[in-house]
Amino acid sequence: MGILKILVCTLVIAVNVEARPISYSGGSTLMIKSDNLSNSTYFHYSPSFKYSIGIENTNDKIFKGNKNYIRFTYLLNRKNALSSQRNLYFQSGVDVANKNNHFYGAHGDWETRRWFAGFGYKNVQGKIKNNYENKYLQFGVAPYIGDYGDFHTWLMVKTKKSSLTKNTSTYPVLKFFSGDALIEIGYDNQTNWDLHLMYRF
Amino acid sequence: MKKILLALFITSPLVWAEEGSMDMHHHSHEGHLHDTMVNGKNLEVNAERFDKFMEGIIDMNIAIVSVQGMVCDFCARGIEKAFLKDLNVKKIDVDLDSGKVIIAYSKSIEIDPDLIKKKILMNGQNMTDLQIIKV
Repeated sequence: MGILKILVCTLVIAVNVEARPISYSGGSTLMIKSDNLSNSTYFHYSPSFKYSIGIENTNDKIFKGNKNYIRFTYLLNRKNALSSQRNLYFQSGVDVANKNNHFYGAHGDWETRRWFAGFGYKNVQGKIKNNYENKYLQFGVAPYIGDYGDFHTWLMVKTKKSSLTKNTSTYPVLKFFSGDALIEIGYDNQTNWDLHLMYRF
Repeated sequence: MKKILLALFITSPLVWAEEGSMDMHHHSHEGHLHDTMVNGKNLEVNAERFDKFMEGIIDMNIAIVSVQGMVCDFCARGIEKAFLKDLNVKKIDVDLDSGKVIIAYSKSIEIDPDLIKKKILMNGQNMTDLQIIKV
């Protein structure tokens, strides 16, 4: 299947993205993600730059089920500097149909226009045998520094581990963004495609 | 891990985008676009970019805002959208390289530094300096 077909399919099917979980005040964001564990579509609104509320539909590839989470993300800490920004977020979600299905976690990032470093932790609670943890680390470099409005490219490396699959995989990720749209594409032999798409309104 | 996250959420001193120290300078810039203004104060912006921004601009008040935390297009776009909602804003330029935002306001209104600072903060960044030029 070609890249284009995969991207189109990813847009159509469900997905969950961690990058930029809060918009500017009054902004909305659509995030779509697909990886070896799930597909998800997540739409959130940010009444303030400090938090966002949203709804996420996930299709679990391991446990074969759909869930609709009400999500809340909170900016615990932000440090702005002349040429960098550092963020720490708390994230959570509760299944609309069954509050026993919920998750919580944290993720953070540090970014300049050249360098990026990020991490994430997510604890998913469900039926007794369905609890699991996901962790990731991500580092990136921009091969060129574009001006505002240009097409931007990032070369990244991501390491992720899930207690569900007991696999640790490290793989390259390409990130592109232009205007209000962002796309991340990663591929690993074990976990296959890791796709993130985001559009900010 | 659960305890750590809970403790982090409840007890950590929540530090928002901190409001940095801010200097404000007001200048009369009588139609001349130079690196150094008439009062000897350096114009703290890329001169070439500023000249390009000023093309076609007459009889306006210009705000040059220094901003911390602008690291990507999403930050820039948020700032641009926030200011363009104001009908008195005629033109805006966001320079990620230098961390400067240049805003052209109608001559009819007085630029409100607190309002600019608030809009920048609502976007999640900090204003650290403001220069106002009348052209």
